[in-house]
Amino acid sequence: MSNTTSPTTAPETPTPDPIWPQALVGAGVLLTGAALAWGAVGISSQAGYGGIGPNFLPWLSSVVLMLCGAWILWEVRTGGFREMEAPSGARHGYWAGFVWVSAGLLLNAALIETLGFVLSCTLCYLLAVQGLRRASGQASADKPATWLWDLVAGVLISAPVFWTFTQFLAINLPGLTRSGWI
Amino acid sequence: MEIFNALLAGFAAAITPANLLWCLVGCALGTAVGVLPGIGPAVAVAMLLPITGKVDITASMIFFSGIYYGAMYGGSTTSILLNTPGETASMVTAMEGNKMAKSGRAGAALATAAIGSFVAGTIATVVVTLFAPYVAEFAVKLGPPEYFMLMLLAFTTVSAVLGKSTLRGMTALFAGLALGCVGLDQISGQGRYTGGIPELLDGIEIVLVAVGLFAVAEVIYAVLYEGRVQESQNKLSRVHMTARDWRRSVPAWLRGTVLGVPFGCIPAGGTEIPTFLSYAAEKKAAKDPEIKAEFGTTGAIEGVAGPEAANNATVTAALIPLLTLGIPTSNTTAILLGAFQNYGIQPGPQLFTTSAALVWALIASLYIGNVMLLVLNLPMVGLWVKLLKIPKPQLYAGILIFATVGAYGMRQSAFDLYLLYGVGLLGVLMRRFDFPTAPVVVGMILGPLAEAQLRNAMSIGEGSAAVFFQRPMSLVLIIIIVAVLVLPRLARRMAARKELQPV
Repeated sequence: MSNTTSPTTAPETPTPDPIWPQALVGAGVLLTGAALAWGAVGISSQAGYGGIGPNFLPWLSSVVLMLCGAWILWEVRTGGFREMEAPSGARHGYWAGFVWVSAGLLLNAALIETLGFVLSCTLCYLLAVQGLRRASGQASADKPATWLWDLVAGVLISAPVFWTFTQFLAINLPGLTRSGWI
Repeated sequence: MEIFNALLAGFAAAITPANLLWCLVGCALGTAVGVLPGIGPAVAVAMLLPITGKVDITASMIFFSGIYYGAMYGGSTTSILLNTPGETASMVTAMEGNKMAKSGRAGAALATAAIGSFVAGTIATVVVTLFAPYVAEFAVKLGPPEYFMLMLLAFTTVSAVLGKSTLRGMTALFAGLALGCVGLDQISGQGRYTGGIPELLDGIEIVLVAVGLFAVAEVIYAVLYEGRVQESQNKLSRVHMTARDWRRSVPAWLRGTVLGVPFGCIPAGGTEIPTFLSYAAEKKAAKDPEIKAEFGTTGAIEGVAGPEAANNATVTAALIPLLTLGIPTSNTTAILLGAFQNYGIQPGPQLFTTSAALVWALIASLYIGNVMLLVLNLPMVGLWVKLLKIPKPQLYAGILIFATVGAYGMRQSAFDLYLLYGVGLLGVLMRRFDFPTAPVVVGMILGPLAEAQLRNAMSIGEGSAAVFFQRPMSLVLIIIIVAVLVLPRLARRMAARKELQPV
């Protein structure tokens, strides 16, 4: 490995994290509180004997969340989150990998009742492992042999899980056929 | 004598071949999930919660307790060998145990952690056996105002006291309370936040939230931010303690147990405080300059023995508030409460009379589980360490398959899988921005119960909140809540002022 760094190069000073993601979180909490308040309007206030109705906790949650959102935004304006531990891992997200894993999870939700548990979970595994391999920088991630190996591994995990839960523990999981084996 | 007879009956129920097998499988599975990164006891129990639909309650509770216990043993292995604590409970073990492993004493660290866990777990189980029935007897006298205040105390400690930021803890707690509101109100039957979606009438499953927040979020976080993180594993040496190690460990185990048990008993949640306190106590107790020098450098065995014992003692004693008051003090006990609820049983003071056979079988299984775990973890530690060789991409992708079983298996609804993804994304955001997750789970599961107690209490008081101040026990709890909120802040402020004062 060659070392091309000049000894006179000044050490890199890390640039501070941008503040806008924290502001977005604060705004998100505030808006969630507002949405909950909007939902609470439609809940009956029939309090009965105790003076507290079914709308009490929804109103309390929404108001406190709005206050927390506003407080978070104030913290952001005055220097950022207090006593926050630096998040672990890389500074920037690997979004391509995120898309692979998300595709696996969402397709699983969309197809589980059509393809059955084994095939749908195998597909989820296949897509998720592809994203995770790419995230860890494995050069062989997109090779056909890797895909084939992952396909086999996906079936080898999902099928026994399906059998264990449906045959031994009698839990209803969707199958492609009515045989109970796939 | 009555307790002894009940315990014997519990042993008789727990040592049937089927229940012993459930205990063994639970302990083995628990150790595995404790060792594996990305999956903890809460999520393992949550993913397996659908079995409550078919498996007998005694068997499933023995199984879940095995997982709960086993994960504590397994967690220390990962902390010592990888320096990646699976959960806050193992943080202190990671600090000192990893230093011991780096200086070639991994075996001694693993042995003191396992034996310490056994000693503390067994002593704490004796405490549960002796005191839980009395706490239950006392708890029968508590009414809705006292119950509400106990739950408020649990909310306060889990959100405002234990975390680093009260603001983020409160946000997480109220997000959990709002999630708990979804579905039919249990007193009036009124629909809340259902948005016309029929699946939401039954509410949001706790399994879904726990699996989404812990398992799915972990996988998404790993792919986004931790793909390139390389972990170096310390070499495993022979699991053995010398006579000197024993001499140094035994007092530390006992001190850790004495510190851990009370923290488990109070509805204040968390193993952070007792483990850190135990670590500080061990450091302070070290008089020998040679031992003192080992702390933070080559690793002192007391720094592993004490906190591990404190951790296990807390975790075991946490069953007292769960079984006698129905109040969970951690993520896993919250999920265990969910398991009881799936059977239509509400843990609380009546549990010791209405389901005595179940409770005593569960307590007996803790003794058996402890012995099983010692055997599983001491001679077989090499086997568990092999689990760490599973490549992360395959491990994390595999977790998603189990997450699907947990989320789909509860209600057989594909809608829940979309919801699972949504909760997973929420979990990633929470982790990235340092929001604690325990308040969400505790708020969600305890929220509806607290709401019901509040409304009942207000009915008793004929609509007046004065009822909370008129009853002595309720008033005492209010004072405790105010104290836990005010005293730590006051102490911090005073310490800061002292530092500012010129010498």
